[in-house]
Amino acid sequence: MNPAQRHQLRHLDGAILAMLDERARLLSQTSATDPLRGAAVDDILRRHSGPFSAEGVAEVFAVIDRHSAQFSLEEQS
Amino acid sequence: MIVRLVAGTTEEVVRALQESLEKDGLRVLRSRERSRPILALAGQTPKGLAESLAKLSEVESASKPMGELLLVARAMRELHSVVDVGNVRVGGGTVVVIAGPCSVEGREHVLSVARQVKAAGAHLLRGGAFKPRTSPYQFQGFGVEGLRQLKDAGLATNLPVVSEIMDASDLPAFVEHDIDCLQVGARNMQNFSLLKAIARAGRPVLLKRGLAATVEEWLHAAEYLAEGGCERILLCERGIRTYEKATRNTLDLTVLPLMREWTHLPLLVDPAHAAGIARIIPPLSRAAIAAGADGVAVEVHENPAEARSDGPQALLPAELVNLVAESRVMAAATGRSLHAASRG
Repeated sequence: MNPAQRHQLRHLDGAILAMLDERARLLSQTSATDPLRGAAVDDILRRHSGPFSAEGVAEVFAVIDRHSAQFSLEEQS
Repeated sequence: MIVRLVAGTTEEVVRALQESLEKDGLRVLRSRERSRPILALAGQTPKGLAESLAKLSEVESASKPMGELLLVARAMRELHSVVDVGNVRVGGGTVVVIAGPCSVEGREHVLSVARQVKAAGAHLLRGGAFKPRTSPYQFQGFGVEGLRQLKDAGLATNLPVVSEIMDASDLPAFVEHDIDCLQVGARNMQNFSLLKAIARAGRPVLLKRGLAATVEEWLHAAEYLAEGGCERILLCERGIRTYEKATRNTLDLTVLPLMREWTHLPLLVDPAHAAGIARIIPPLSRAAIAAGADGVAVEVHENPAEARSDGPQALLPAELVNLVAESRVMAAATGRSLHAASRG
């Protein structure tokens, strides 16, 4: 890996983290778990055509959901 | 000239310096900055003064900003300023979305749009009651009744409201109806008597860029507001007139990063008036946020074809939902965050 590629990866990782944090901030303004969440993830997976495997994406979302539960107001109260 | 003193300089020392400068016939203004004293010297300063001041132990720097900018110049603050409009903070690392009908078209209409603006997650409700139209035969707005309807819709949805003021004689009506932010439109950007009058109103002012104004002229118009006592100023780029006819105006995003260097004031972008075409507003909004805008201002209508003004540039409510979602992504991608939606 050359330095430019390493630099690009670091920027992408930073952007992924920024998106996760922003997602958490949005969740912290909501009051309940979304009953349509499963369908939304299914929809994303159906449309997904990138190199990341569908199983891998599903796992990533499962981890995000598990760690995001604490942010909703329902969980905070 | 702006004189930045060393942090921790005592009030006694600042006052002594101020008095000495005033004795020399200079008008001295002070920044509201708390972390360090900053003085602004208005008007023509004697040759060699900057060098003399720089030699003083309490002076960190003495510099001359663009033109005769002082209070709105970047050097007058440590950080970019944050402007409170009702319960919404503009600037400071969050991005806001201002949305609403171009014109207030009636009580039910503005309330319905306000509810959709709120549901989409936007932060401020805009709506014109006094409309500066190109032709005298076009809808001129409902005037004071429009202000009342806009404010009521804002109260019902807990959204601060923004509306354009065209004439200083209307100011009492804006105050009486508690309009949270006074907008000075492009055509009135250099209406200095209007700027002086509303500067004293104690309300935030959203100052749009004139359609043929340079950045320097725009910032000097903001300086009129600041010099007149207005402490909450928002700048809004809305497109300038160029030879290009493909769009209504040309959205000048090129100046945004430079504006960050020249002024501490928050910067908004109104892509709707620049574009004049609804379908290109989402990409222009994304570009504005990417270029550093603290927020975007757009127009929404449930039936743009029937809008009494600027229908072709109005987004549908569902398109606003998308625009807010995209604004959140762009805010995060640029190391910021979308302002929290107000409750209620």
